Amino acid sequence: MPPRTDTLIMVRLATFVAVLSAALFAVAAPAAGQVKLTFDKHPAIDFGDTFTASVRVKSQNDWRDFPSEPGADPKNVFDPYRERIAVEGKILGRVIYHVEREFHETSSPWKNIYLDTRVIHGLHLQGGQFNMPFGLDQTTSLMNLDFNYHSLAGSFLAPGRGLGVMAYGDFFKKSLLAYEAGVFRQDGDNTRSAQLEDVRVAPTFAGRIVVKPFSKWQPLHFVRSVETGVAFTEGVLPAGLYSLKGQTIPGDAFVQKLYVNGRRRRLGAQLQWRPGPIGVQAEAMRVRDTRIGQGIEDEDLPNVVERAWYVSGTWLVTGEHKKDTITPTRPFLNGGYGAVEVGARVERLSTGNGPTLNPALFGPRSPYVLPTADLVWTTGVNWYLNKFFELSLNVIREDRTLPRTATLSSGPVWSRTFRIEFGL
Amino acid sequence: MRRRRIRPLVLMLTIAMCVPALRLSAQAAGAPAGVDALLDGSALHDVWIHINARDWQDLHTHYQDGTYYPVDFEWQDVKLRNSGIRVRGNTTRNDHKPSFRIDFNRYIDGQDLFGLRAIVLNNAWHDPSMLHDDLSMLMFRRMGIPAPRQAHVRLYVGAAREYAGVYVISEEVSKTFLTANFGEDNGYLYEFHRQDGDNYGFQEQPDLGWYVPRFGPKTHETESIANLYMPVRSLVEAVNEARQDNLEDRLGDYLDVRTFITELAVQNFLAQTDGLVGGVGMNNFYLYRFAGKKLSMLIPWDQDNSFSRIDVPPSEQMGTNVLTSKIWNEPKYRNAYLARLLDVADLVSSGWLEQEAARQYEQIRAAVYEDPLTPYSRDEFDQANAFVQQFARERTDVVRHYVASMAPEVLNARRLMTRRGP
Repeated sequence: MPPRTDTLIMVRLATFVAVLSAALFAVAAPAAGQVKLTFDKHPAIDFGDTFTASVRVKSQNDWRDFPSEPGADPKNVFDPYRERIAVEGKILGRVIYHVEREFHETSSPWKNIYLDTRVIHGLHLQGGQFNMPFGLDQTTSLMNLDFNYHSLAGSFLAPGRGLGVMAYGDFFKKSLLAYEAGVFRQDGDNTRSAQLEDVRVAPTFAGRIVVKPFSKWQPLHFVRSVETGVAFTEGVLPAGLYSLKGQTIPGDAFVQKLYVNGRRRRLGAQLQWRPGPIGVQAEAMRVRDTRIGQGIEDEDLPNVVERAWYVSGTWLVTGEHKKDTITPTRPFLNGGYGAVEVGARVERLSTGNGPTLNPALFGPRSPYVLPTADLVWTTGVNWYLNKFFELSLNVIREDRTLPRTATLSSGPVWSRTFRIEFGL
Repeated sequence: MRRRRIRPLVLMLTIAMCVPALRLSAQAAGAPAGVDALLDGSALHDVWIHINARDWQDLHTHYQDGTYYPVDFEWQDVKLRNSGIRVRGNTTRNDHKPSFRIDFNRYIDGQDLFGLRAIVLNNAWHDPSMLHDDLSMLMFRRMGIPAPRQAHVRLYVGAAREYAGVYVISEEVSKTFLTANFGEDNGYLYEFHRQDGDNYGFQEQPDLGWYVPRFGPKTHETESIANLYMPVRSLVEAVNEARQDNLEDRLGDYLDVRTFITELAVQNFLAQTDGLVGGVGMNNFYLYRFAGKKLSMLIPWDQDNSFSRIDVPPSEQMGTNVLTSKIWNEPKYRNAYLARLLDVADLVSSGWLEQEAARQYEQIRAAVYEDPLTPYSRDEFDQANAFVQQFARERTDVVRHYVASMAPEVLNARRLMTRRGP
């Protein structure tokens, strides 16, 4: 089978980044005395301002206890969820590069590969493959998630990574207003259309504005970390069975696959608040797919709408301040117990616009969309042993709204996952 | 605000009123006489496949894939919504006039057409007469062998109701078929898939893995390989171990030898070149093992290579198969086989087969002439039908002469019995 077009693009992109770095490094020819090897959180090499490189390793291994369900494939207890290596650094002190590869997943092993530079104050440019600016949870690094899995909203409604260029930056002090705006070759890698082998250019525009309305507000310092934002994507949707996916926690599809055609529009809102050791996060998303000429008789069908939301809260029991990356004040076996965080999340993903009266109404080219939903409660404990290791235990309950003919269980369905995470 | 509340209410009421008109089974839709009317062959019916134009195009472009596309199936006043259609067939598979499988359950569990969960639309790609398969199945049933019912239909497609030609509609060998013919559906049903290069005729195969690609399970699909295939291997072992002079002694628990002989006689009378003793080994059959028993039965499928030549000796290829070799080499069974050939000859000599061939030809002629996708000219169609009728007229004498030359005692016994009366 020939390699996928986007895989070829990724290989070319990675090669380009590597060759450019080598060329710049050769031209600059730093003196040996300028070379510095460091190992703080990860191994790095600096050739002065000319070239820097650091190696990042991300490893997440899961032990899972998923229920045995009729109509579902059996799942392995052990799951090497993520095994990634990345090289990143700066060229000539101005251009940031990042190349990342997944070794566990083989279908699309190249992850974030991009160049990034600041043009002027308040304007950065980024080009390559990277997360499209939509979805707070989706655009959070997998090493910094509060729970073992991304939210349903982040996994299935947010676009994920795309190949494109993006401008971003922030204005005013303390990042009062930040923006991201980009154009991408097609929709992100969370979607079915991104799995097309013959990828045609179907541009998707994405943008997000995040404000920290109280960041400069002195009287109530505990609300200064509140940040909220809105985001959108708008793009071409190729004709075919490319409606958005939806999977249960064990990974079984529960959302009906539908024919779509025309445009896909996402709207999202996000909120994050981190007062001291507490973290509160919430998102809501709505995705609308048009279905031009997709009926059995070639007629236009009503739009498909999927919705998802979540609200989560975490508390660092050991008192550290909630940040993207948690570093224990007193690491385990180094005078302390590490950092312990407890959290809970409730979320729901739903779709469907038809009545539940008669199954004969529902088909992939029917005007009616089978009403399905998954309401998920996740509770978890994270134990950050030190800045490299973390252990996480999640207990998850699902209540599913499924058609009466579905083979999967409606719920409540309980899952447990235990993760050992190593980050370098 | 008031208007906002009323609109969804009106919509829900409208849907609630319309929805009872849609049912999962066509039986309740007030349709005429059930599926018998469609499959009894007494009339040329029109079937309308409602399909998105893009799907129709994709289905032809990717005809090798077996991808399902959603369709609404309409026949008379029966409309089954959200069914699935895919291209089917092996050597007859093509992008010009593909054969189809229509699965009423593809997207909706429990939907059926008068009990049929799926139907097949055959293109008769290798049969310019378009009658071989249907007439063969009729012959099997007349000889007491369960075989799928078939009929001809005019197929119309798409929103514009374009004529897509004449097809042979067939019921599937499925649980519905098993219930109708055997009064049970919980046995083990396998579809035989001949593999390229095989010339299989019950030769022993000790490795269970050998059976997996050849005997595709149509029931109990999720059971273990051991459960599925050890009984099939035991059947093959019994065929091989059975003494030629007393096949029933070892084989009787696994296969009804007399029924097998009847199936063989029908196929060889009809000069089928791709059946139980075809030139490429066994082909075109299902194997059904009755529930709770070792006993199995072969069910014929896809007989479009019958009516090949009028003068084919009914002993041709008998030596290529372990079981048919034993039958042929043992006078007791050979005579039983020849006697069944005479039974078939008697049935055909009544003129029934010729009349049926002529009737079907007249029934479909105008529709085939207008078929925009048939690979055959009108002359080829007419000539092929003339040959089928000639076959029906002349084959009996060929077979009787053959039996007379091989075993005159069998023919004499038949004549004696005829004179004495039943």
